[in-house]
Amino acid sequence: MRGKFALIAKIVFLGFTTAILALLTESAFAQKQYVIGGFILVAALALNIVYLTSISVPFKFFLPGILFFIAFVIAPIFFTVQMSGFKYQTGNYIDKATALEQVINLGAQPDAQGTTFDITVGRNSSNEFAILVSDIANNKYFVSTPTQRVDVPAASATFNEYGVAIKAPNFNAMSADALAANDAYSKIRYKYEGDYYIAIESQNAGGVFRQELTYSAKTGVLTNIFTGATYVDNHRGNFAKVGDPTVLLSPGWRAPIWFENYSRLVTDQKVRTPLIRVFLWTFFFALFSVLSTFALGLILAMSLNRPIRGRRIYRSILILPYAMPSVMSILIWAGMFDSDFGAVNSILHTNIHWLQNPSLARSIVLLVNLWLGFPYFYLICSGSLQAIPNELLEAAAIDGANPRQVFRKITLPLLLQILSPLLIASFAFNFNNFNLIYLLTGGGPTQTLNGEIAGATDILISYTYKIAFGTNFQDFGLASAISVIIFLIIASISMYGLRRSKVMESFG
Amino acid sequence: MNKWMRENLWRHSIAIATCLFSLFPLYLVILSSLKTSGSLQVGSFIPHEVSLDNFRFLFHSPKTPYVLWFKNSLVIASTVALSSVFIGAASAFAFSRLKFKGKKLGIRLLLLVQMFPAVLAISAVYVIMERVYTFAPNIGLGSQGGLILVYLGGSMGVNIWLLKGFVDSIPVELDEAAKIDGASPVQTYWLIFLPLATPVLAVVCLLSFIGTFNEFILARLFLVEMNGRTIAVGLQQFIGGQYASNWGPFAAGSILASIPIVIIFLSLQRFIVNGLTAGSVKG
Repeated sequence: MRGKFALIAKIVFLGFTTAILALLTESAFAQKQYVIGGFILVAALALNIVYLTSISVPFKFFLPGILFFIAFVIAPIFFTVQMSGFKYQTGNYIDKATALEQVINLGAQPDAQGTTFDITVGRNSSNEFAILVSDIANNKYFVSTPTQRVDVPAASATFNEYGVAIKAPNFNAMSADALAANDAYSKIRYKYEGDYYIAIESQNAGGVFRQELTYSAKTGVLTNIFTGATYVDNHRGNFAKVGDPTVLLSPGWRAPIWFENYSRLVTDQKVRTPLIRVFLWTFFFALFSVLSTFALGLILAMSLNRPIRGRRIYRSILILPYAMPSVMSILIWAGMFDSDFGAVNSILHTNIHWLQNPSLARSIVLLVNLWLGFPYFYLICSGSLQAIPNELLEAAAIDGANPRQVFRKITLPLLLQILSPLLIASFAFNFNNFNLIYLLTGGGPTQTLNGEIAGATDILISYTYKIAFGTNFQDFGLASAISVIIFLIIASISMYGLRRSKVMESFG
Repeated sequence: MNKWMRENLWRHSIAIATCLFSLFPLYLVILSSLKTSGSLQVGSFIPHEVSLDNFRFLFHSPKTPYVLWFKNSLVIASTVALSSVFIGAASAFAFSRLKFKGKKLGIRLLLLVQMFPAVLAISAVYVIMERVYTFAPNIGLGSQGGLILVYLGGSMGVNIWLLKGFVDSIPVELDEAAKIDGASPVQTYWLIFLPLATPVLAVVCLLSFIGTFNEFILARLFLVEMNGRTIAVGLQQFIGGQYASNWGPFAAGSILASIPIVIIFLSLQRFIVNGLTAGSVKG
């Protein structure tokens, strides 16, 4: 009975999921999102195969987990690593085909006089978009489509109070609402004279333009037909002028530049200098945070390692900073040190710009992180202290060691051995402690005057975030390269830590 | 007396000093939430006036749809917590109890991948979800559904790792007995393992809930609409740089939002500490 119910539940659930995934696949393919659509399709197939057959029992357990893992963890990492090999920044966001299209569109120049005409937009007798152009100065009127231009004698047209033709034979004007609903008309080039055409500037005005840049798909060369200048793909995401490679046509596209983002970290002084500074501070910040939180946590754990009165109350108060949602407490600290309205200044009756001074801001970051982190080590140290066998300490005391010696020679080394993986994990966590920096100081103070974006308290991850999502200039390629480097650093530190914990496991 | 002094006085002084340190900002926030004026300026440590204006503001001002924010946070965090533990527990069980090819490799990969700075994969997640939006707006960029999916994916690694630590600590005798009695791994999982592991799963669920409740960066990127925000994003955007005018309501809001989390945490501290050390420290 139970088995039957489980089977039915399984089939209903699986069918339901498959239906949803199939729908998603279909709409993904309809929108030409082939990679995502393909992934969803494979996921649906895999789910059905695994749960309807007995091919692999372990897969029945971790297939859903793996699918999520691939979609939202592996794929983004893969994408990031890939981006690190590209020139992918402000001005080089789009793919090459779109960029070329835009370059050609931008390669249209108004005629020498900058002529504009009053126009009325509508459709001609064969229902194509057409414009009725009024060249009032020359008393000429004509209906233009992309392919032909038909002159309209003034006598057969109807004019509004400004002398603009609004009605003509074989031409039906469209209402402003109809035009607003469909802007396809505005992207069409309407015929004028020779090379020149009329481009829509608003619903009532058109300007005379001609195309300067022409592209030859065969040679891949853009030519300015009037000046004769030629532009070729510089293999770095832009068309550059032949003879003067510093002249670039924009927009560019994201182009593979292989390891250049990495080599910039070393060779480009503008990148290297702030990076080294930020790296040193990150390292110091993480190390100091681990040591200070561990020290305070250990001191507390040692003090409260005995059933003294009020120990439970102390304990509850001491872990409050850890129990609070950290986003809230970081914002609270940020507010307290606000120079104009913060509580610290008003209590001390001072007017210190706490977060505007580099050294003060750094000290505050360290202080707040101590506040946030010590309860964790307090909890862990108290647990570990109890795990140290009492006989060991008693034996040492009998042998005449004073408490300080017992601590230095026995307790501390043992604790460090037990806790070293956690200390390393904590270092890795603080190395990437984005929330703290972002919410407390925003990385600042920053000397924006000389175009610097790295602030005094910026750690690698917040600095990289600024590079990738900055307000003025965004460089995904460089940011991705730094991410990969951070990953390598953290991974090697953690692997080292892991190996040590493996050693411990083998000891028992 | 002398002996007591020597033995215990230093313990109490250290404890009291640190307690003051840990209470200091919290006390100030409570004070400013009870003030009428908006700023965090505190003239003295003793409140002269106690008013609930700030709390009233939270619930009545259209500038802060606080109740909605709270609801969003609860819905998102509990959906993520429940589903990620449901999915993660099965994977953790497989990693802990079943024998299969590539198990070691899988565990290593799981651990390694977690060291990638998640904040920086955000741009990639952003691009992916932007594309999903073009064909399924309900689970794409800007939707709570999309955010839940991203959280689920992101929490998978950590949760499987954490759960594996817990699962390892559950004695194997029972499921081995089931195996001898002829139960398949799937039956063992549903009938023996899950009932046994429920308390442990509940703790991981709550940890995951707290983690999601605390998440800020992704939520900020995803939830643009005022009414769709989570409490962390809502309150952060609300004060912005304007501590002056909005501080009081922010203080009140952050206290109310923290209370449930603090209560969960304090009541489960013993389990949570075990969870923190599981997987990395033995004994």
